[in-house]
Amino acid sequence: MPEESILSDGFVRELMNVGEVDIVVGVPTYNDARSVGQVVQAVRAGLLKYFPRERSVIINADGGSRDGTQDLVCAAAISDLSATSDVHALRTLHSISTQYENGPANGIAMHTILAASDLLQARACAMVSPESTTLEPEWIERLLRPVFRDGKDLVLPVYRRHKFDGLLIRNLVFPMAKVLYGFSVREPYPTDFAFSGELGSQFLAQDIWNQEQGRRGTELWMTLWAAIGKFRLAQSFLGPKTRREDAPSDLVGAMRETAGTLFTSLDAYSSIWHSQPELVPAPCSGCEAAISLEPSRLNRKRLYDMFTFGVKELDPVFLSILTTSTHDELRTLAESPEERFAYSAELWARTVYEFAIAYHKAVIGRDHIVQAMVPLFRGRAYTFLSDNREASAEEMERNIEGLCQAFEREKPRLLEMWDGRR
Amino acid sequence: MATQDSLWYKDAIIYQVHVRAFYDSSGDGNGDFRGLAQKLDYLQELGVTVIWLMPFFPSPLRDDGYDISDYRSVNPTYGTLDDFKAFLEAAHQRGIRVIIEMVMNHTSDQHPWFQESRSSRNNPKRDWYVWSDSDTRYKGTRIIFLDTELSNWAWDPVSKQYYWHRFFSHQPDLNYDNPQVFEEMWQIMKFWAEMGVDAFRLDAVPYLVEREGTNCENLPETHHIIKELRARLDKEFPGRMLLAEANQWPTDLRAYFGNGDEFHMAFHFPLMPRMFMALKLEDRKPITEILKQTPEIPEGCQWCLFLRNHDELTLEMVTDMERDYMYDEYAKDKAMRLNLGIRRRLAPLLDNDRRKIELMNGLLMSLPGTPIIYYGDEIGMGDNVNLGDRHGVRTPMQWDGSWNGGFSPADPEALYSPLMLNPVYGFQAINVQSQKRFDHSLLSWMKRLIRVRKATPTLGRGSIQFLYPANHRVLAYMRKLGNETILAVNNLSSKAQPVELDLKQYKGNILVEMFGRNIFPRIGDLPYLLTLGPYEFYWFRLRRI
Amino acid sequence: MWQSFLGELTRVMNEIVTGFARFVPRFLEMLVLVLVGWVIAFVLRVIVRSVLRIARFDKLSEHTGAAQLLRRAALPTPAEMLARVVFWVAWLGFILVGISVLPVPWLGENISSLFAFLPRLVAAFFILFFGLLAATFFSRAALLSAVNADLPSPRLISQTLRTMMILFVLSMTFEVVGIGSRTVLIAFGLAFGALVFGLALAFGLGGKDLARKYLEKRFARDHYPEEPSREREDELSPL
Repeated sequence: MPEESILSDGFVRELMNVGEVDIVVGVPTYNDARSVGQVVQAVRAGLLKYFPRERSVIINADGGSRDGTQDLVCAAAISDLSATSDVHALRTLHSISTQYENGPANGIAMHTILAASDLLQARACAMVSPESTTLEPEWIERLLRPVFRDGKDLVLPVYRRHKFDGLLIRNLVFPMAKVLYGFSVREPYPTDFAFSGELGSQFLAQDIWNQEQGRRGTELWMTLWAAIGKFRLAQSFLGPKTRREDAPSDLVGAMRETAGTLFTSLDAYSSIWHSQPELVPAPCSGCEAAISLEPSRLNRKRLYDMFTFGVKELDPVFLSILTTSTHDELRTLAESPEERFAYSAELWARTVYEFAIAYHKAVIGRDHIVQAMVPLFRGRAYTFLSDNREASAEEMERNIEGLCQAFEREKPRLLEMWDGRR
Repeated sequence: MATQDSLWYKDAIIYQVHVRAFYDSSGDGNGDFRGLAQKLDYLQELGVTVIWLMPFFPSPLRDDGYDISDYRSVNPTYGTLDDFKAFLEAAHQRGIRVIIEMVMNHTSDQHPWFQESRSSRNNPKRDWYVWSDSDTRYKGTRIIFLDTELSNWAWDPVSKQYYWHRFFSHQPDLNYDNPQVFEEMWQIMKFWAEMGVDAFRLDAVPYLVEREGTNCENLPETHHIIKELRARLDKEFPGRMLLAEANQWPTDLRAYFGNGDEFHMAFHFPLMPRMFMALKLEDRKPITEILKQTPEIPEGCQWCLFLRNHDELTLEMVTDMERDYMYDEYAKDKAMRLNLGIRRRLAPLLDNDRRKIELMNGLLMSLPGTPIIYYGDEIGMGDNVNLGDRHGVRTPMQWDGSWNGGFSPADPEALYSPLMLNPVYGFQAINVQSQKRFDHSLLSWMKRLIRVRKATPTLGRGSIQFLYPANHRVLAYMRKLGNETILAVNNLSSKAQPVELDLKQYKGNILVEMFGRNIFPRIGDLPYLLTLGPYEFYWFRLRRI
Repeated sequence: MWQSFLGELTRVMNEIVTGFARFVPRFLEMLVLVLVGWVIAFVLRVIVRSVLRIARFDKLSEHTGAAQLLRRAALPTPAEMLARVVFWVAWLGFILVGISVLPVPWLGENISSLFAFLPRLVAAFFILFFGLLAATFFSRAALLSAVNADLPSPRLISQTLRTMMILFVLSMTFEVVGIGSRTVLIAFGLAFGALVFGLALAFGLGGKDLARKYLEKRFARDHYPEEPSREREDELSPL
């Protein structure tokens, strides 16, 4: 029985009409009518300004929007069909949209866009988030120019962010990626990034699309895979990262996408991190001060409360996952008063590694293991916020480096447990 | 010539030729009228119905004949007036009409009128030209020959005043505010019309009149002059045609048709560079957009379409971005660039790619308008940018592989211009004689193309309706006249393309391909799928049986 | 008299011998069937064990929680269990077939009805086993979700869910087996209803403040702007 294609007949027909292109800009969406119009107009302006001679297309993979998102994306097209407008372009610019099944899932959206880019023989592809309302036309140039001019395979963004933005990245993804895989980039889990057609085609051929990492956390998986596969990486400073004031941050979802993906990668790339990985270069162009220091409003007490509460309530679950010593340490930590609370870097590294081992052995359901990490991360976040509250950008960088060193020190333990020697 | 059909120019196939470049019968190294007359059979066989002669009047030849010093005679190098009359007679016998140049805007500074005018400020002909004490009048008027002229005013040391010139400084502009100028020009036109000339190409029409505070182009007074000229021509010489040379945007060009009481035809200048642009971009957008902006013209009027001519491929009527693109794609060598244009012939512009040459000629013959073929392009002649100015596209016609390419018996050093010699475009590689031998030569193909075009009045006189298939690399349109409908589909891309055409309103028609006359599937409810090879085009006649 | 006694004795002896002669071959047949059945069951057990090992069944079972369940009950691994179940089912089948061969009518009838009962027994066993697995899985999921959503009493929620599921599974099991099904069903219904009623009271009375706050937040944002000084935990994105 033939495999079902990710590209519908109608979409293939649209791709046929687009034909060979130089640039694809992919936009995965789901009910993003509030912001996507502004984003694609900025993308279009960027293409017209910086790549007026290149053949380009905007491709939207939508997860089932009902708010007119797709129409907003298609409105960005420039062709001789539309009535005369004040936009002057040398060439036709297609902007097409398709709805994929089993959505919304960013991984499936990415799969669709990669497949389309491959069919269109795109030389370069940029992915942008439909929520990036701070996106400016220059971002397109900064993402794609390294691919075109410098022959880079993967261009990751660098944003100007608040120093406490991306805590999960700083405390989990960044140290693990650096220590286990040898690469340190500011945004290992990007939402706006670019890659070469060659990298896209090779990534498309990976056998991940029927697995969890083909649905969630795919961007992180791609970054890891590209770094391990010795593709040429680069970072490009874009500007301020869009912050949505009203969107609740789904920590459980974020944990699934980060910890889940990382832990799965340990199985797939066991031989890489067992050895001492080489440092993967990722030069940064135009990187200004990427951290803004305006004061933030954060409820640290709530983090502490949820940590202690979580440790208490999830005790039987932690018993299945952690070693006795780590489990006892966490219980002791949960009983300490707030003013003396300190979830040290070492303990955190150990916690993460033991969770990784539990995930590898699947001592309980893997998704449950990932969920169980959430209250512990809150505790770690509390300590991180406390330690860096008054810190300057440089001081915070040093603290993060200290965290990475803790992960490095605990690595032998991880290796022993993984190989069953402990 | 007695004319049955006053709209003959709508069905015409025009061939632009320079007498000097075509065929030398006298052996002095220059083409002449006797030589041209000898080659009329060739032109008749090609299928040409009208010959447009570049200026053959007496001239110091500092602008290849567009600097005229005597309007009522023939440059002795090309022959005599009797030679011209004989040529005209021979052309008419073969059913070929003749267009000559009327350079109304300016004369050579060697013309007796100017010599008189400059001789003193009181001379009766002083006012035949535009004089000024200062060179600050008519500020804001653009300079056309940017590469050579710094100003539209030139200082005359004789009469110690400035005179106005929109082109070279040795081409002073005539002053049409003086009615005598107009009357004299009319008499000149009458002179040639009485001889039998069928049509006049009025050179540099937009610049006839100047007014302070304007850009001195397309002024209402210019249109009055044209109207008057047309009225007199229609009255005294019905069936003759006026062709405007006005390098303007379509909306400005429209004015030159008036209400059917000015020019019969005008060159569609803005379309031409966009055809080349569309080919490089592999995108029909430049063509469809300029044609969308092209206004409707009066019933008896017609656009003139061309790919190349004796001038540079003008890029005046494009944006700066488009010009940069054209320069980068078509004139990488800066020596090819001149006066906001590109001085190259058709074949070199298209990389001598036969498929591209065929496609462009296919577009020329199927878009709405009368096509003009520049001499030599029907065999794919090359150019020589080293000859300076625009002489590189005006090299001798290549007839065969023999002495001087069969152009002239003279010594090669005596030729008015060197021949093309390189292995790709040289006369031994590209010439009429060798291409006549083969059915698959460019010349043979052009003959077939012209034959099909002439057999299809719809292509000359019909309306146009663009189809906008989703594949932007394919340009498709319907041409309709009465009961006949033609579908033209053109692949602008270097790669094979599929295209689905919405032909629902023509459901039930069978497509008949017009060159091979094979039938294609009948049009049904579904989009009509066609696949085209690189640069391929189809012409279909729709038949309902 | 003596003659008739002897004759009767002889007749009875003959009957016994005949009966014995009729029984023994059948008995031997039964033994053969049992023996053959044992061999086949053994082979099946080996095959099943090997197949499950190749398919890494134990690892999959760890994932679903079945292995933990069995470990807690001091039972062998899931693959081994399944292999043994296959062995016993196969051998029991042959034993029962063997017994049915014996010329004991009432035995045959009972064995037939036992055969008829067997599928329901197996079904009940599977319902119970997987039901317990599901109860463990979902109760843990509920616990994690409640903790991460900062709901009060997550353990209570988890245990309640677990209890409800076990009750449900048990009642289904009994119904399938056919033991006091109607009674069990009613008892389950009562228990379930009481539990739900109790929870409704608890949440309704105890959570009305929470509900009010939620509704205010959701629908009356304009009228009750947030105090600027109050911190929110999740203002910054974790990613």
